[in-house]
Amino acid sequence: MSIVLFIACIILLALGVPVAFALGGGALAAILWDGTLPLIALPKYLFSGMDVFALMAVPFFILAAELMTGGSLSEVLLRFASQFVGRFRGGLGHTNILAITFFSGISGSALADAAGPGAIMIRMMRKDGYHPEYAAALTAAVSILGPIIPPSISMIIYALVYPEINLVGLMVAGVMPGIVIALAMAVINHVISVRRNYRGLVEHLTTADYWRNTWRALPALMLPAIILGGIAFGVFTPTEASVIAVFYALFAGSLIYRTLTWSMLPSILARSALVTASVLIIVAMSGAFAWVLTVSRVPQILTEMIVGWQLSPLAFLLAVNILLLAFGIFIEPLPGIVVLVPILAPIAHALGINDLQFGIIVIVNLTMGMITPPVGGLLFVTCLVAKVPLMKMVKELWPFMYAQLVVLAMLSLIPAISTWLPTLFGYK
Amino acid sequence: MDTFDKWLLRANRWLLITMLAAMAMMVFANVALRFLTDESILWVEEVSRYLMIWLTFLGAGLVLRYGGHIGIDAMQDAIPQHAVKLRALIFVLLIGFFAFMVWIGIRYALLTWNQTTPVMQIPVGIVYLAMPLGFALLIVHLIMMARPFIARREFIVDPEFDPESVKL
Repeated sequence: MSIVLFIACIILLALGVPVAFALGGGALAAILWDGTLPLIALPKYLFSGMDVFALMAVPFFILAAELMTGGSLSEVLLRFASQFVGRFRGGLGHTNILAITFFSGISGSALADAAGPGAIMIRMMRKDGYHPEYAAALTAAVSILGPIIPPSISMIIYALVYPEINLVGLMVAGVMPGIVIALAMAVINHVISVRRNYRGLVEHLTTADYWRNTWRALPALMLPAIILGGIAFGVFTPTEASVIAVFYALFAGSLIYRTLTWSMLPSILARSALVTASVLIIVAMSGAFAWVLTVSRVPQILTEMIVGWQLSPLAFLLAVNILLLAFGIFIEPLPGIVVLVPILAPIAHALGINDLQFGIIVIVNLTMGMITPPVGGLLFVTCLVAKVPLMKMVKELWPFMYAQLVVLAMLSLIPAISTWLPTLFGYK
Repeated sequence: MDTFDKWLLRANRWLLITMLAAMAMMVFANVALRFLTDESILWVEEVSRYLMIWLTFLGAGLVLRYGGHIGIDAMQDAIPQHAVKLRALIFVLLIGFFAFMVWIGIRYALLTWNQTTPVMQIPVGIVYLAMPLGFALLIVHLIMMARPFIARREFIVDPEFDPESVKL
């Protein structure tokens, strides 16, 4: 039966049926083929997959990031970031990296990073003499931090389809890998800036300027601190943090930065609701898909089989990384998580791989798929903003992708990068 | 037909806006209440969860109009001479699947009508009605977009919503 499920899904996907309905249609085909399973299970598991309070963090984090994306917020973050790294060689590139890293602590998705501060940075870098293809490639490469540094929509869905993992632990686990990726991107930016002579910014900042920039950025920087700190110290749950973020963003945007007006709210709400619906319909349909997997005992059978091979954890991680990279070329992170995690995470657990480390590897790997051509959500957005042809930009992207592969290898070899911080907070 | 479509899009949009705003305000009020008084309103968790379910199903049709459901278009690009036939096939498959979901959704809602929700004691079927209604709405939206979609893979273009933004 599981064979029918996979074949039907793959055929529907290949034809171009949206992922959500391909998952549901595959589950339906499998149930019809089997003949003994009740059809009513389809709506039942479709609802049970999404009737979860923790899932509410998805619409709220989407909404909070939308509320924070107003023009002035990104500029404030940029100015704050540039006073630390702007004077170095390739200064605007470094500023871009740092600002997007900060913004990733507010947004839960890579596209929000690229469309928010990323878009502004591309224009500034262009004006400053960087090749627009390079600016677009750098922005796309750094934007993958969105779902890696908490908050993260991908992590919320991961914890939903693999409930054995602790969501708070997973979010805390994302911080260090996120910083490592940001540093790796900065190294590449430095090397290329030296070679092409991208100069640093020549601003003469007085101490008063530093204080003013920091003071202006403080309300924006408070939000990542509230979200991450609040969640990590257990002051509130991720769901509570998400709704606090919404109202904090509303408050900061309308009263402090004054870029939000009431008339903008309907559009922001509509946009967030549409993104939410498109994400959650996939989650709902994957509930039915996962149920068919479970009744046909696919995860157990595969786990027993692979544990029986007495594979070393590293060999398994290598295989998973190759599988996910191949998968990521064709499909977006979210469908990858809902389909692969219920199968792979139990195997990793049985092999003695730390749940949090494995979760981080999966999320980093699938998110990297967003910058691998030909289908990468981040590619389209950034080359649209930079007004450059896709293939020219991809050429600039290779160094960043190699660096990310190195980080991925580090994450696989050194569990401590992912597990050290959560262990400190008591999450395992 | 055009005025119906305009009305449909507008009503659908405002419905989603209202539901999301209501969810956010409710849950925030509850969090604030918990911090201030250490108590919380029990029905908020239930109602907001059900609103999220309704939002998902009633939003899916509108997402379809904007071309915002994640999918793989590689085959249409690979065989441009057969792309119209391919999209007609997708159309038929989707209509069939949606119709089935309406039917099974109604059956499921009726089947669970006698159970009540834990806090508010309303029939669970009311919550589950979201699915058949949502899929009925998906059928309506799919029919309204049929011609431009099959002929040219055209969706509604609106600066308010970029279909790429759903890729997280």
